[in-house]
Order: sequence, then C-alpha cells, then structure tokens
Amino acid sequence: MRTRRLQIQRFRPEQDATPVWEQYEVPCANETSVLDALIWVKEHRDSSLAFRWSCRMGICGSCGFSVDGEPTLGCHAFVRDYADGLRIAPLPYFPVQKDLMVDMTKFLEHLSAVMPYMIRSEPSGAHPLEQTPAQLARYKQFAGCINCGLCYAACPQFGLNEEFLGPAAIALAHRYNLDSRDQGTRARLTVLNQARGVWSCTFVGSCSRVCPKRVEPAAAVNQSKLSAVIGGLRGWLRPTVTDGPEPEGARR
Amino acid sequence: MTARVHRPPLPRRWWRARRDHGLYMLRELTVLPLLFFVGCLIGALAALAQGEAAWQGWLGWMQRPWVLGLNTLALVASLFHAFTFFALMPQIVPPGAIDRRRPGVWIAAQWVLFGLVTGALWWLLAV
Repeated sequence: MRTRRLQIQRFRPEQDATPVWEQYEVPCANETSVLDALIWVKEHRDSSLAFRWSCRMGICGSCGFSVDGEPTLGCHAFVRDYADGLRIAPLPYFPVQKDLMVDMTKFLEHLSAVMPYMIRSEPSGAHPLEQTPAQLARYKQFAGCINCGLCYAACPQFGLNEEFLGPAAIALAHRYNLDSRDQGTRARLTVLNQARGVWSCTFVGSCSRVCPKRVEPAAAVNQSKLSAVIGGLRGWLRPTVTDGPEPEGARR
Repeated sequence: MTARVHRPPLPRRWWRARRDHGLYMLRELTVLPLLFFVGCLIGALAALAQGEAAWQGWLGWMQRPWVLGLNTLALVASLFHAFTFFALMPQIVPPGAIDRRRPGVWIAAQWVLFGLVTGALWWLLAV
C-alpha cells in the first residue's frame, strides 16, 4: 500500500504558544478520504490529535478543514488527489481551540440572529400550510446548508470583521424569506439591512465556490441586497403598509 | 476557566492565499485607472467652460503617450470589470426570473446588449 505525507497544524493550548506543523506518513488506498487519513493518525500515531467528525458522508458538516489552503470537508476530499502530500490546517478566520478544532460560537450567534424559523403573524389554523412544488423550488437550494462553516473560512470579509453575519446565516434568512408559508421577511430584513448584514458583502464569491452542498450563499446574499433595497423603498413610500410582524414581535 | 484559543491574525497579503481572492483584488483595483479617466472627463468639462484655447490644450494633453496609455489601461480594466460583473449577474437575479441552469446564455445576452448600446452611442457620436 502506498503512503502519503500529511502535514498537520497542531495547537495544544496547554503547551504551544503558537501552532506548529507536524508530519506523518499515512498508508492510503484509492478510496482513503482526508478524514480517514486523520483518523488513521489518531489511531496509530498520536491519540491526542483533536478534530471534529461524525457522519463521514457530507451530511453532518463537522469535518471542515483547510486542505492545501482550500476550505473543504475532510470526507469530501480524497488523499489520492494530493500527489505531493497534504497540508491540513483548521478553518481560517476562526479562533483555534485545539489542533484542527475551531471555536464556532460567532457563527452560531449569527445563525440565530437572522431568526431561522417560521414566523407567522396569524395562526395557520387547523389545516397544515400547503405549498406547491413551484413554491418549494424557490427556496429549496438555500435549504441545503449543513452549517459546516466552509463559506466563512473562504470569506475575507468575515476574516476582517467577525461581526459580519456571513454567508450561511444570510442564506438561511433568505431561505425563510422565500418560503411562501413564512411572514417574517420584514423582521429579518431589519437584521439583514445593517452594516454587518448584507452590505458587508463585496461579492468575492468564494463562499459559493467552496460550498459542498451548492447552496450558493453569494447568490442568497446578493438577492437579499435587492430585497433590502426594495423593502426599504416600500417602507419609505408607504410607511403604513406592513408585510409581517414588527421585529420585536418576531422573537420566539 | 476559559481555555486559551489561538486567534490567527489576518495576513497583510491575505489575497495571495487563494486564486479567486487574487482575482477579486484585481477586480477591485480596476477602480484606479478608472479614477484617472474620470479625472480626464472632469478636466474636459473645466476646459469647455474656459473656452476654445483651454479645450485645444486639453485635446493636446489627452494625446500624450502616457495619457493614452493610462486611458487604454482604464478601458481594459473596465472591460475586465464588466466581464466579472456579467459573470456574476445570473446569481443576483431573484429565483425564477431566469433559467439559472444556463448562465452562459445570460452572460452572452449581456455582452450582446453591451455591444448594441456601445454601437448606438458610437453611431450617435460619429454622425
């Protein structure tokens, strides 16, 4: 069985002042994923190596790493594609807790800030809210996010300012804004139409390129800019017209 | 007790880490030659207000090789910016407005529209 050289960025807060690189030779077959290789290192070379993973099939979104500088899921990348070896580091722009584990607190705060749940100004009644396939198709793409954080690791605006709501949170807000059953667009646009909201995005577009689920958060952010402008103009021209509850009333 | 975390600083040359970040910076840099071109246009307005001698002086200045070179650069830069903008357009339009599975058609349509408008303006100025 052939081997590949893995360089892994290590950071042990109890002993390392700054991250250091360590090198491992890992046996690999054609189907060995980057995540498999990391698990091999943990089982055979250093059990203290810390990284997150769960499903191994691109669903849980836990195993996001920077592989040769590219934010990617460890279970989506294969060792066979790196003939000269791999450099694996934690996702950029996030604080590093240990080795390849990053602190995603800000990311989770941004997700909850955009009210990612169904908001209704009137009760739906005894019948379930119905939706046509065409209405589902409007937001389905944006509902595919697995919260892996790769888009934040590719976004230089988040790197410059961690208060920027960021691609995944805005894509999630857009997903609910496009849902025919939801009535919370006005409340969400109040959050999105801020300096730290959609207007911090300069359309670099890297978030869409690294997304493993093809959610295209860059599209969501820039469509939300259009919605924010139209919503703002509507509010300015007809301030008495509302299309949903006030932001205060939108809280659960 | 909160565990110590490492906050990696953003490198000054962060755009060199990824090719698409480099292209993004190039796109944003196109504003610099365009600023020069806008300065030339403002100079033209000022020269027009001052009379024929100033206008002739401005025409002569515009024909200097380095001014021609910078304005050629501004033209290339604005075409590159248009190229990136047209490529991004299919992502901006609301869902359902266009068939986003065929972005090439919409990018080509924008270039055709751009060519028609440029041609019409050229014809108006030439006639």
